[in-house]
Amino acid sequence: MSTSQSSLPAALAAGKTTSAPGDLRRLAGPLLALPVTAWLLLAFAAPFVTVLLLSLHEVSDPFGDLLQPPSLEQFRTLFQDTFYLRVVGETLALAAGVTLLSALLGYPLALWLARLPVRWRPLAFAVILIPLLTNVVVRSLGIVLLLAPDGLINQVLGLVGLPPFKGMLYTHGAVAIALAQVFMPFMVLALYDVLQGTSPRVHEAAQSLGASRMTRVLLVDVPLSLPGLRAGIVIVFLLASTAYVSATLLGGKKVFTVGMLVWQEALQNLNAPLASALALVMTATSTLFAVIVFLVVRRFMPWKAGRPAAAIALPRIVLRVLDVVGPILGKLLFCGALLLLLLPLALVCIQSFNDVPQATVAGFRGFTLKWYAAVLFGGAYWGSFVVSVQLAVVSAAVTIALAMPAAFALSRYRFPGLTGLSAFWMLPLSLPHVAIGVGMLRLLQAYTALPPFMGLVAVHVVLSLPFAISLLQASVEQLDKAQEEAAASLGANGLRRFLLVILPGLAPGLAATGIMSFLLSFGEVTVTSFLTTARMTTLPVRIYAESTFSLEPTVHAVSALLIVATVLILLLLNKLVRLDRLYAR
Amino acid sequence: MTTLDRRRFGKLILGAGLAAPYGFSRTAVAQPKPGDELVVGIWGGAQERIVKQYVEKPLVEKFGCKVSYVLGGTPERRSRAYAERGRPSFDVLYLNIFESRQAVKDGVTQAPTDAVPQFANLFDVAKLGGYGVALNPCTIVYDKRKASKPITSWKDMWNPEWKGRIAWPSYPGAEGTAGLLMAAKIFGGSEKAIDVGFEKIKELKPFAAIQGSQDQLFQMFDQGVADLSIEFGSFTRKYAETRNPNIEIANPVEGQAVAMNVACITVGTKNQKLAEEWINLHLSEPCMLAYANEIYYSPTVKNLNIPDALKSKLVLGSDVDKLVDFDWDLVIKNQPAWTNRFNREIAG
Repeated sequence: MSTSQSSLPAALAAGKTTSAPGDLRRLAGPLLALPVTAWLLLAFAAPFVTVLLLSLHEVSDPFGDLLQPPSLEQFRTLFQDTFYLRVVGETLALAAGVTLLSALLGYPLALWLARLPVRWRPLAFAVILIPLLTNVVVRSLGIVLLLAPDGLINQVLGLVGLPPFKGMLYTHGAVAIALAQVFMPFMVLALYDVLQGTSPRVHEAAQSLGASRMTRVLLVDVPLSLPGLRAGIVIVFLLASTAYVSATLLGGKKVFTVGMLVWQEALQNLNAPLASALALVMTATSTLFAVIVFLVVRRFMPWKAGRPAAAIALPRIVLRVLDVVGPILGKLLFCGALLLLLLPLALVCIQSFNDVPQATVAGFRGFTLKWYAAVLFGGAYWGSFVVSVQLAVVSAAVTIALAMPAAFALSRYRFPGLTGLSAFWMLPLSLPHVAIGVGMLRLLQAYTALPPFMGLVAVHVVLSLPFAISLLQASVEQLDKAQEEAAASLGANGLRRFLLVILPGLAPGLAATGIMSFLLSFGEVTVTSFLTTARMTTLPVRIYAESTFSLEPTVHAVSALLIVATVLILLLLNKLVRLDRLYAR
Repeated sequence: MTTLDRRRFGKLILGAGLAAPYGFSRTAVAQPKPGDELVVGIWGGAQERIVKQYVEKPLVEKFGCKVSYVLGGTPERRSRAYAERGRPSFDVLYLNIFESRQAVKDGVTQAPTDAVPQFANLFDVAKLGGYGVALNPCTIVYDKRKASKPITSWKDMWNPEWKGRIAWPSYPGAEGTAGLLMAAKIFGGSEKAIDVGFEKIKELKPFAAIQGSQDQLFQMFDQGVADLSIEFGSFTRKYAETRNPNIEIANPVEGQAVAMNVACITVGTKNQKLAEEWINLHLSEPCMLAYANEIYYSPTVKNLNIPDALKSKLVLGSDVDKLVDFDWDLVIKNQPAWTNRFNREIAG
């Protein structure tokens, strides 16, 4: 890469050393890639290989040896059965739909966020994070209330004299909306950093050349935000392809996903081999998709490889139409996205004070504070909350420390094996979490030899790393290297450049990554529920355990408190770290 | 210990359990010491609260021990117990009726014995595969405003007035298993001849939805998505009383389908005596009545004084005799095949 030489010392500073002797230059990329690879080899490769070995078992024997003569029986079963193939196809289609929906809804939100005055951004961030802060039960209740036969949409249809549309719930569409609601924040965070990094001077240039606002969005913002869009697409697609809880709650078994079948086979039927094979087939297909997206998007960014981009000229009539339709469509999508984000908030506010015995019932019966009392003074919830916060803080810190060098390796270096490594780094995202849990179960003895807290950190970091690497890679690619060169020419050494130029430039990306890693760890339940011990019950595991009997509205009080805490933390964060980096140029 | 050793170990334990007279194996049981820790795997929410108050408290007072909980759903708990066979991290774990019997056969948990004094007072149905602690049978629950006459038989579900209004319970799972087995039974089949069950359920299609849990079903009732399903009568009664008075819990002439929470002691526990004491306290009157009062779970022991006001809401006396039981070994053996069939022919 033509520019890698100039930024090498600074990138090295992000890794291990402050000086760059000749030999180390070639080693810089591999050195930066080492920490994350080592962590994944220690904490992820073992359960992954276990899943691989299990998938080669001829028959299921819960007590049998892990090492058995390899057989392709499970894969034969899968590929000879149109049901499984259909479910794989449907899952991929669902994930593609969710990705498209998240991009359509997320883009206007990200543009809005990037243009908002800085002092309002913490609140706006909090709004975008609401779905990630509310329990899946609250979110699906919201979708049910929206789509039910006497739900919100049908009531609005009734107001304008249209007949109700009854078949909206328990369809692929309902599941897609539910998943887009919770995955859209990942898309927005991935886009936000690159969008707000676009210099206002670029916009001014476009405007002075006569571009309307719509033309600017399409021909300037969208191409420049491609690295973020790519990260967002890959993350959302892989998340959606492994989802099963929302699909169970809103698909009403009319919608099957591979994640649901893996869970059913592994846990209810104790058939780990078939579950493993199914998980691997899904992983292979979705990883293939991620690679294709990566390559296709790269073709649209020739300037990344130092080649000029071809000029895009749209016919005048198309531009006219776009100028009329675009803003309306943009506003509609923005309002739709905002509605989806705020719906859980409204519900949480009402339900957390509602005097009903179950969390899933809607309709206000009476005011009570007992759910808040149970959370704050009941003991059990508070203890689990503290465990979850500690776990999430440590996991987020470790994740960032490992992901940052990896992001530099990906965006500034080329060395043999890098593409393979980057695919390996993404694997934890594309392997259904249930399968990781199944692999861990087989290794429980080795795992429980670790102190419980360390074991959970190891796994949570594995699960957040793919997100963190994708986001930070997009951030690093956006760094203005001219600034680093200017600093170097003024005599700043690697460490000074890293601390005073690179780190401030990365601050918004780091904040987004930190928030996301924190929330991923804080909300993780699928793998954690296999590994939890008597003295280490996280909040999501406690809530999940309650939902296996009947969920009480305490869960709404938990969500409400989390949202308030997030707003406060973001306000504080905004005082300490600027969530934009326009000042850097 | 390698996997091979574990397998051999499991067989040894099983063999020892069959061969050794009971009194012989008792001599090895150590008495609890203050500070010992009992680990219990159980569901969260109301159940955790009840056992904390009515089992943990007296146990800790008596022995000065400590009790820790691993909370979660039955599937996770069971997979974990299977993964840890012979060297368990749980001492007591709670399972459903069919899983508990299989777990004893697989050498994961112990068969019940009279080392638990309340064992003698258990109903027969609660003496297999561990200690039954709560009867929680499945039956038809429906919106009575939508019924032309009260439901008195499982066959009433095939009345055309329910077409398109049924939320069929997902299989596997206690409710889905009850639905499938009862459909087979009342139309001349059985767990050995399940075909008729699948065929009759297919006649009920299209379903308003397939429901996967009691919480999800209550939501469907609230939102007018469905009017009838098969569910645990116990907690549905709580829902009807507190939230939706239109919901009726049927008591079909053919009987309700048995379902039960079972407390199991793991094979290899180091706290045998404490675990037995725990279960005995769970089977004591205060705990049984708390379950009955709070979530309408019916007792599994005979020696209780149940307040009259509660009696009509529980499954007691002749209703217990009428509970429909099945060959659970056969049911669990066929579960993967039936799951496949359910996914393809009923759901989707």
